[in-house]
Amino acid sequence: MEKQIRVFDPTITPKEQALRYAPRPTSLQGKKVGLVENTKYNSDTLLLKIGKILQAEYGVQGMLLRRKRSSGVPAHEEIIRDILAECDVVIAGVGD
Amino acid sequence: MSSGDIQSHAYEVSDTAEAIEFYYEKGWTDGLPVIPPTDASVRAMLDAGGLEPGQEIAFIENRQVSVTAEKVAINAVMAGCKPDYMPVVAAAIEAIGDPQYGYHGPAASTGGSAVFMLVNGPIARELDINCGDNLFGPGWRANATIGRAVRLIMRNAIGTLPGKLDRSTLGHPGKYTYCIAENEAESPWPPVHVERGFRPEQNAVTVFAALAPHQIGNQLSNTAAGVLTTMADSMRISGSVTGQPQYAVVIAGEHMRVIADDGWSKADIKRFLFDHTHNSIAHLKRTHRMPGAVLPEDETAMRPLVQAPEDIIVIAAGSRAGVFSAFIPGWGGKNASQSVTKEIRRP
Repeated sequence: MEKQIRVFDPTITPKEQALRYAPRPTSLQGKKVGLVENTKYNSDTLLLKIGKILQAEYGVQGMLLRRKRSSGVPAHEEIIRDILAECDVVIAGVGD
Repeated sequence: MSSGDIQSHAYEVSDTAEAIEFYYEKGWTDGLPVIPPTDASVRAMLDAGGLEPGQEIAFIENRQVSVTAEKVAINAVMAGCKPDYMPVVAAAIEAIGDPQYGYHGPAASTGGSAVFMLVNGPIARELDINCGDNLFGPGWRANATIGRAVRLIMRNAIGTLPGKLDRSTLGHPGKYTYCIAENEAESPWPPVHVERGFRPEQNAVTVFAALAPHQIGNQLSNTAAGVLTTMADSMRISGSVTGQPQYAVVIAGEHMRVIADDGWSKADIKRFLFDHTHNSIAHLKRTHRMPGAVLPEDETAMRPLVQAPEDIIVIAAGSRAGVFSAFIPGWGGKNASQSVTKEIRRP
């Protein structure tokens, strides 16, 4: 049968972004770790436990725990600023 | 008339039935059949909105997606909208792109919200957006298709697909459509858009990341305090409880008259509901909504359901008959998503 109707694609392909990882340290010895807590119950407990393991087993020297305003939003500017200023590595994740 | 070219990829099909099946095969529907978007129908939608095809309506930061007018128009045609609805759909999309709405949280969350839309101003009556009988039910083209268009845009244009970027555990039927108007003609109170700084003759849409409506009944009381005591008692433990989201409260005809006859304003309603929806920390702990052991001081320590009385949106709508009203808990918490009102602009 002859094609008779032209119909349109309703979708959008998201813009491609050039992303690259920050350089990884070869060792955690003497490094300070930022911990980004997402406000959900026990997420701080989990992150601090991870931080303590990193201190005991990998030579991490310090930790900085920061709390997001809500689990549903990205880390706000003060968190990014503090971590950039003070930390060498950062751990962020969803605690739930 | 819009003069720019429609850039979207076009497919050729033999007839409407084949087009409907083609959109199913592509995964571009909400489960219901869609209207095939042709050049003429998409162009009519753009013209009714006074929009050029490439014009950006919203930019969704987390997705890095620029939602253009032509994609809004294509999905609005698919949803079954009349061209006259286009300005409402476009304003709603602009609103969900506002950082205050915080698209990513409510769209992606396991908490499963829908975009509740309230239309205010003369346009609601012109487009016959239902504000009365069977308020949240079927039967009105504008309510059914405007809300559906927004969901199709979320799905198709912004990639909010169930099980992928929409991780809702349960969701709810409002995710098909969730659009109402306020009964401004019979309401004793200023409409929501006027409370938010618009003039009565302006048109506006308010979007709100919302869970399902909860109906409450009170056929005994003939006082404002009586009706709202029932409402507050049902609201107190609802939604995310400890997250302090915003709430919408829909007051229908008989309750509206009882409350207004007592001389209560919307501000009085909000204050009363705020004051009467606190929970004790002890109760929240005993019912495992807050962590920790119950301490003696928890019995008298109270937590409000919302952060402030203004976080309760009061809407006059629903049938004139019946002793029912409703409350709608917002998604998550106010810190992650807030209701947003945008003007509906027509050419």
